Order: sequence, then structure tokens, then C-alpha cells
Amino acid sequence: MELIRFMVAHAEDIFGALIQHMKITGIAVAFAILIGVPIGIWISKKQNIAGFVLGVANIMQTIPSLALFGLIIPIMGIGFKPSVFVLLLYALMPIIKNTYIGITTVDAAVIEAGRGMGMTRMQILKMIEVPLSLPMIMGGIRISTVINIGTATIAALIGAGGLGDFIFRGISMADNMMILTGAIPTALLALVMDALLNFVEVKLTPKGLKGEE
Amino acid sequence: MIELKNVVKTYDQKTIVVDRLNLKIEKGQIIVLIGESGCGKTTSMKMINRLIPMSDGEILFDGKSIMDYSPVELRRKIGYVIQKVGLLPHITIGENIELVPKLLNWDKKKRRLRALELLELVDLDKSYYHRYAHELSGGQQQRIGVARALATNPDVILMDEPFSALDPMTREQLQRELLKLQDELGKTIVFVTHDMDEALKIGDKIAVMKDGKILQFDTPERILKHPVNDYVENFVGKDRLWKLPEMMYAKDIMNRKVEVIGARRRGLQAFEIMKSRGIRRAIVVEKEGKQQQVPLGWIHINQLRGQKAEEKILRDLVKVEIQAVHETENLPNVLALMKETEANRLVVVDDEEKMVGVVTQSSVLDVLADLVSEYEEEGDED
Repeated sequence: MELIRFMVAHAEDIFGALIQHMKITGIAVAFAILIGVPIGIWISKKQNIAGFVLGVANIMQTIPSLALFGLIIPIMGIGFKPSVFVLLLYALMPIIKNTYIGITTVDAAVIEAGRGMGMTRMQILKMIEVPLSLPMIMGGIRISTVINIGTATIAALIGAGGLGDFIFRGISMADNMMILTGAIPTALLALVMDALLNFVEVKLTPKGLKGEE
Repeated sequence: MIELKNVVKTYDQKTIVVDRLNLKIEKGQIIVLIGESGCGKTTSMKMINRLIPMSDGEILFDGKSIMDYSPVELRRKIGYVIQKVGLLPHITIGENIELVPKLLNWDKKKRRLRALELLELVDLDKSYYHRYAHELSGGQQQRIGVARALATNPDVILMDEPFSALDPMTREQLQRELLKLQDELGKTIVFVTHDMDEALKIGDKIAVMKDGKILQFDTPERILKHPVNDYVENFVGKDRLWKLPEMMYAKDIMNRKVEVIGARRRGLQAFEIMKSRGIRRAIVVEKEGKQQQVPLGWIHINQLRGQKAEEKILRDLVKVEIQAVHETENLPNVLALMKETEANRLVVVDDEEKMVGVVTQSSVLDVLADLVSEYEEEGDED
């Protein structure tokens, strides 16, 4: 009860932080899509470098986010930009990987039929490979978004703002209520985005593919 | 229409998949490439539409080297049907059929009319236009595969084991329909299969391949009856004729040597001749000692006994009417005729109605007995 009263009292602050939080993750994921999808498509055509790129992306994922935020300060300073940059790095991996898997698992017979009919490589990509791997790519975007919403709380450490502010303030003041005020909306945001993107994923799945299973 | 000249395909400069292949494909024919897996049949076919680049040699399409076309341009001139069909699952059947016309910028109305026309051609209801691939059975999908290949009305269609994944009933149905389509459209079709029954059924000509070479390129009938070597013979299967009695003709089952006797001989002479030859029955012909002429009738030794008969010439003695069949009549028809006319023996004649041999019940039995024994021998080896 007390928590609710606290949160209502700070409603305006929470809302502001929530918007900021969404902004950071949103921009990071948007850039990750713009970079990750083309990379994923590219490496699906170049099997020899696919392993290398996926390996690098994998290693990035294993660096603790706290450390990466710390390491970026000497290079990019603090604030919004470095935060978005670090989050982008984390968002890349699932998107590249899912795009790669999506494209490489398109039924070879369909591609052969396309080639045999005289489709150009670009037409095969646009009319066959991308549409058929769209659900998979969306899955990658969903995973990236959900991970980023959580990771973005740490970005508050380097002055990105967002819901992480409440958590860090709560930790330093040993105020559980404050921590929860940051944590609960973060968790809710993650759940809502997950559901929302899942919905989009289903919507984007071509009609002809839905009945297959 | 298509000519392969010394075509070679190697991988890594050592593995030879297709070895100096020569093949001339006439317009309007169904050519079947057949062989065991790894014989190079699919590779040979895919080099025609440049899905696989050839290592050496030349392929002419309509008199022009395929290298003078861009791959995309070439492939749009050639229909392509594969075993797994490869319909795009995310678009409707109609859109699948319209794909190439769309790439060629046909207008929407023309495309749609063509798709509906093709649905009818492959015997599917118009309502399939809005369905998706996964809603169709394998056989229906392959019908669409064929319709799609025909969309822009190409003269040549390549088919890579198109019916191999289907159940036997559907396969047969589609084979029949392909022949029907071929009668209507007169396409040039290159058809790859490993199924001899299929090849014999649909091929105008069959190329039996092994180790990247064509061992024999011939009509189904000649492949069956005159295999060039043991490999082809075994591949065709010795029991094949047994399974395809339609491919056995009167000339294959007849006795070539027929006892003839001149029409001007008197009964007594004829009696002595037949006795000395040890025969009881002969065919009466105009000129003595020559088989290739119009037969007059049968004479049996019993007809020659008695004083009256001994005096007469054979021409007047012949009573039994001749039942004749043309040499290209097939076994079922020969048997049917024998049953119908209750004749024990049929005279086999050529185009000029001249006798070339005789089919008797025992000659039919002989042929069947031969086939059965070969069939059993083969069974024993297993």
C-alpha cells in the first residue's frame, strides 16, 4: 500500500523516466535493426565470414554490461549517446543471428525454383528470403528489445537517465521502495513490449505460413 | 531445339561428373535422362538453364550458345519443375503462377487470366487461386509447379524428377496428364528420372546414363529390345517386357520360318513333300519356295488323303481362311484376336500384306516361357 502511495506521489517523475527509458532502448534497437539486419543478410551469403562475425557478436554479448558502460566513458564520455551506443552493441547480436538463421534456413527448394524461373539474386532476396525469414528476424528484434529494457537501467550509471535512476538512487539510499519504483515499471515495460512485439511477429507471419504447423 | 556438344562438368578439376556428353534434343519431344544417382543426369539437365555452369563444351539453345544469353534471360525462356516443387509458401497459388509474368511486367489482368487458364489446364478448380501451398496435397502442388513452369509459355521445360516424391497412384495420374498436356502443347521436355517404368511410359526418347556418359539414346522400344550392353539391359530390367506386353509386337513373338508350299502342286505331290519334311500343316502360296508373298490359305495333311484330293491342285484344296495380323500389332491385341476368331494360328503380314511369319499358340507360349524363366533367374540372384 505504502509503495503504491509512494509511486502515485512520484507519478510524474516515473512517467518522465519511463519515456526516457523507452527513448534510449528504442533508438538503440532501431539502430541495431538498421545495422544488424543487413549484416545478417550479408553474412548469410558469405558463409566463410559468417562464423567470424557471429563469433565477434557473441563475444560482445559476454562482456558484462557494467564493464562496457565503464569502458565507454573514456571514449565517448557520459550521457545519452554513449548509453545508446552500448545498448546498440548488445542489441546487435540477437538481430544478426536471427536474420542469419532466418535467411539460411529458407527452404532450398524454393530458392532453386526461384533461380530456375529466372529470378535475379535481388528478387530472390526481396521476394523470397526476406519475407520468409521475417518472423525469425522479428523474433530477434523482440529478444533485443527485452534484453535492452533491462540493460538500460544500468545506463543510468553513466547519466542516461531512465528508470535506472530510481534503482541506483534506491541502492545508495538503502531505500527498497525507491528500488521497486524503478524495477517494477521496467519489468512491466519489458513484459508489455514483449507481448506487443510478439503480436507484431504474428501479424508479420505471412498467411501462407501460419497454418503450417 | 537444344544440342549438347562435348559438354563436360568437373569439380575441382578431377571429379568428372559429366564426360563429353553429346545429345541432340528435337523440338516437341520428351527426352528422358535416366540413370542411377550420381550418373550426371541432373547435372546435365541443370547445365542447360545454367543453374550449373559447364566446365567445357557447348550447349546450343535454338541454335544459339547458351552463353550468349544472360542466365536470367535464358531461364525465363525455359520452364523448370523440380521434385520438391518449391512453391513460395507465403503467397497464394495464383501469385505463384503469376510470378514470372509479374517479373516480366505483364499487366495484372493478363496475368490473372493466364493463371486461371493454367489452373484449368492442370485440372484444378479456379478456387485454388486464393489458396496457399500448404493447403494442397503433394500431387496438387506439383500440378501448380507445372502450371507455373508453363506461365510464360516457354518452348522448353526441364523437369527434375517431378513425380518421384508422389504416391504411385498420383504419380501415374500426373504422368498421364503430362502426356495429355504434351499432346496439346507440343513442348520440348527434358525429363530426369531414375524410374524406368516412368521413362518408358513418357519418353519419346530415353538416354541411359552412367558415369557422366550416355550409354544409349534411343526410343523406349529399342532400349527395351536392343539394349547396347549388359548394363543397359540390367538397368532396363529383363522382366520389363513381361510388365509391358504392349511393347511386344506380333513380329517379336512369331515364328519367322514358315512351311510354304506352291499352289500349283497336286495333292499327292504335296502329301509326299509334307511327309518328307515331317510337317502336318503348311501355308499355300503362289510361288514355290518363297515365303515373302501373299498367303492363300492353310493346308493340312489330312486334306490331301483320298483319290480326289490327290488329283487336285492345292489352290483348289485350300479351304481354311487365313487370319492375318499386321506385324506391329501388340501382344494383347494378338491374343484377343486369337481368342475372338478361335484361330490357333495367325499369319503375320507386313505393310504389303505379305507374310513374314506365323504366330501360333505355342510360339506365344515359348515367348512367355522365356520371359518367365528370365524373371525367375533374376529373382534367384537376389
